[in-house]
Amino acid sequence: MSSVIKDSFTHDHHRCDHLLAAAETRVEAGDWPAIATSAEGLLAAMREHFRVEEEQLFPQLAKAFQPASSPIEVMCSEHAQMRALLDDLRAAVESRDKQACTGILETLHFLVQQHNYKEETVLYPMADGALREAGERIASQLPAE
Amino acid sequence: MLNTAGLSLDQAPPIQVPFAFFRVAPLFAALAGAVLLWDGDVVLISRWSAPALAVTHLLALGFLTQVMCGALFQMLSVLAGAPVPRVVWVGRLTQLALVLGCLTLSWGLYSNGRAWLMLGGLLLGLGLAAFVVAVGVALTRARGVPQTLRAMRFALAGLVMTLVFGLVVLAGVLGARIPGLAGWVDLHLSWALLGWVGMLIIGVGYQVVPMFHVTPAYPRWLTRLAAPLVLAALLASTTLVGLGNVGLAVWALLPAILALGAFAVVTLVLQRRRERPRVDTTLLYWWSSMGLILLSSALWLLDGRGEVLGVLLLAGIGVGLPTGMLFKIMPFLSWFHLQHRQVTARRFDVRLPHMQVFMPDGVAQAQFGTFAAMLVLLTAAGFSAGQPWGAYLARAGGAGLIAAASLLAWMQWRCYRAYLDISRQLG
Repeated sequence: MSSVIKDSFTHDHHRCDHLLAAAETRVEAGDWPAIATSAEGLLAAMREHFRVEEEQLFPQLAKAFQPASSPIEVMCSEHAQMRALLDDLRAAVESRDKQACTGILETLHFLVQQHNYKEETVLYPMADGALREAGERIASQLPAE
Repeated sequence: MLNTAGLSLDQAPPIQVPFAFFRVAPLFAALAGAVLLWDGDVVLISRWSAPALAVTHLLALGFLTQVMCGALFQMLSVLAGAPVPRVVWVGRLTQLALVLGCLTLSWGLYSNGRAWLMLGGLLLGLGLAAFVVAVGVALTRARGVPQTLRAMRFALAGLVMTLVFGLVVLAGVLGARIPGLAGWVDLHLSWALLGWVGMLIIGVGYQVVPMFHVTPAYPRWLTRLAAPLVLAALLASTTLVGLGNVGLAVWALLPAILALGAFAVVTLVLQRRRERPRVDTTLLYWWSSMGLILLSSALWLLDGRGEVLGVLLLAGIGVGLPTGMLFKIMPFLSWFHLQHRQVTARRFDVRLPHMQVFMPDGVAQAQFGTFAAMLVLLTAAGFSAGQPWGAYLARAGGAGLIAAASLLAWMQWRCYRAYLDISRQLG
């Protein structure tokens, strides 16, 4: 069975992990212009990941394999939780609140980790099984690097 | 083909299930501290003394196993996509039996009361059996990283073996004719420390070390070999005790000790290569616990005092590592449950604090400082057993254990109160 969805979406998760860790490193150093740049990079990467999932992967998976609808719903509600945290992060960076930035990034990190685990162990393998050749096309929508 | 079991990913048990386990655990650590304070002159003289046996079981069952039960109910539901059947009832029943069983067994050991010992054995037998069946069922359906799940299954087997040998020893203490009882005690101890605790550290570590601090994954040679080596060593040791060769049975454990040592070294190396820069209290507890694995392995190889080994393993790792994990798990669960409700209820007018507000890292660091002082005092007491100052050191260590447990309990109470406050605001 192909694992193109699992591999490429997991790879994109790791890309976001690295960006989150880099943002934390910037916050520790306290260089605000650099913090703003890395926070925007993280925001853009995560939103793009959600977009490909919510507009491409999830609708096609739900269509091909009906029992996937319920976990997809849970994943989307966690995306909403993460979007709320990303908004908080942007506000904390604008007001240069170091403590808030640290706390929000920590919370976001843990939310992301448990979310990714569920996608990588349940949803993506399911999508690889259900979507087959369409998987390649969906995966190609993710950023190359 | 597609397996649809465990598809519903929204199976987090009610927060009260894990929190009940987490919040009761420090009481047992404080109780163990009280015994050390009261009987400081004898506890670390001999691991066979009545107060030493009571302290051992208060820490191993009351604190460590209690936290692990709560964490497993939570972890399996969320991470493995494998809900524990009837989790609220199984959780309550397990905890009630564990709490009462640990108290009665410890009191029976302390006071040499036959009826208490019997009752303790019975309650623990029932409670842990219910736990093993419920979690075992969930584990058969679990999905996830195979090496983690395998270590978890082995850990559960380790708990069963610990329980079985514990009951055999108990029967011997109560008067049943069991030849070579000392060998069975050693097996009870080996399965508890290596099979249950050691295997859990390995399984949990594979999962959370890369996850918590963004480190590279554990190397394949280790994830393939470590858990099976520990299990094989324990089985070999058990067979040798069964054949009556107790001396060789001890050395059969060597591969297990080496595997855990390798796990500790690899963990420290991975954590050095972590991407998340902050040194938080959870990381401090991981470092101290991995250091203590190496230190106690060296002490074991040098045939060091069993009492000191007990201090390092139980008060050091058994209390330390779960405490460090609670500093992440409890704030995250509080935040996660609240935010989930906020999103569902669309109550965005209520501001949610982030994780660190639930358990501030500054207080956590003070708690770690108290823990470290306690450990140094108790280790020194273990090395000075029989000296006039040994009892003072043990008593001071006992006071330190009470202080560290109280600080943890206070932080947990603050966290839970904050959860309840915001929960009420959300309506």
